[in-house]
Amino acid sequence: MGNWERLVWNQRDVLLAGFAVTIEVCALAFLAALIGGLVLCLTRLYVKPLRPVAVLLIEFFRDTPIFVQLMWVAYVWPELVGFPNDFFTAGWLALGLQSSGYLAETFRAGIEGVPRGQREAAFSAGMSPTQTFARVVMPQVALSSAPSIVNQFTVIVKSSTLVSVITVPDLMSQSQKLVNVWYEPIEILTATAALYIAFVFLISLVGKLIADRLRQRFGLAAS
Amino acid sequence: MSEALKQSLDLSIFWEYRAILLQGLIFNALVFLCAACIALSLGLGAALLRVSRILPARIVGTLHVELFRNAPDYIMLVWVHFVLPLLIGLAIKRRVEFHPFVSAVIALGFVYSGYFAEAFRAGIQAIPQGNLDAGRAFGMSERLILWRITLPQVVRRMLPEALNLFISLFKATTIVSLIAVPDLMYNVSMVTQQEMRPLPLYTGAALTYFLIIFALSSTARAFSESWRQKIQA
Repeated sequence: MGNWERLVWNQRDVLLAGFAVTIEVCALAFLAALIGGLVLCLTRLYVKPLRPVAVLLIEFFRDTPIFVQLMWVAYVWPELVGFPNDFFTAGWLALGLQSSGYLAETFRAGIEGVPRGQREAAFSAGMSPTQTFARVVMPQVALSSAPSIVNQFTVIVKSSTLVSVITVPDLMSQSQKLVNVWYEPIEILTATAALYIAFVFLISLVGKLIADRLRQRFGLAAS
Repeated sequence: MSEALKQSLDLSIFWEYRAILLQGLIFNALVFLCAACIALSLGLGAALLRVSRILPARIVGTLHVELFRNAPDYIMLVWVHFVLPLLIGLAIKRRVEFHPFVSAVIALGFVYSGYFAEAFRAGIQAIPQGNLDAGRAFGMSERLILWRITLPQVVRRMLPEALNLFISLFKATTIVSLIAVPDLMYNVSMVTQQEMRPLPLYTGAALTYFLIIFALSSTARAFSESWRQKIQA
């Protein structure tokens, strides 16, 4: 136990600082993915001239491995489009882009699942298309895609370990730094792995509880 | 700016190194194949434990699934490569080291066995009890029922999901470059260090992976669609 205290507990400040960065990266990526996914999905469904572009982007984000995308955004984008200028931004941006592709498809399935009659009813009740979308369609989409959204968040957390490769000081990166100082990987890496697993487990558990409760409350059966 | 664009579209440098990059891609395929074998067999084992009637077996199966489904594959890769050999070494009192390829296969195989276990379990639980009872009434042994009645139906039912998992696994093989398995990404970063031109090289790598995975997933989608119609009919 002495080793655990020396290598993990006494280094908790370093590890927790890394964990904070991990949470920051994941939160930003998740936000970017939600917004990006919605924009891509709406463009694909309702903006005819831009449809092929949206489809291509969705497919590209979904079908490129996250590590490759991360390196691409981090090393090619700055030269290509002059952005992002630091690795932290590159990290959450790459994670967000990948997930936005998946969420766009989730949202699309949700929107297409809303019966046509509801839109017609809203129209005959005098609601504008924007109102219909915000008040009738979107709440149902949010409910039906809640489990997939939670799942996508766990994917973001898992992939976020890779931002350590582009020197973002996240939990993974901090624990590897500790390993390089002490040359004793057993305790440090095991504790890090356990922390990640517990975190992802917690997110999927809490996410599932919230999603189920919302769906029960608003009349959709929990699946 | 437009100069940069021209440079990134000029993929000739990527083409110049095609031999070494193709070699890398073969490593991706090898890691994928070996990890897929481990993931499938371990996944089936874990799923059988999870639906077992014996409580301790169920607990072990559930632990396996929850552990590996919730683990990021990169930390598992690092753990298997740097910690597991030390632990084994402590146990047998001898110095042990894993070849990066071995670590990659073990880590990805175990992580994906968690996902495959859930796919198998869903398939197993969807089989009507009557099928099993009928098998038993014919005097089939439990093992025979598994091979002749359960598994054929499970495989048919889980095929679309399994194809998606295989594609995810293939995507995950790109991270093995981080423990120096000489796959495509590893070779790309080596060439980048030599040529100092990340733009065309990483763009080429992204496009290569995109084309391969896009082809695979479109095929899988089309196949799954017709497959679902076939088994529902």
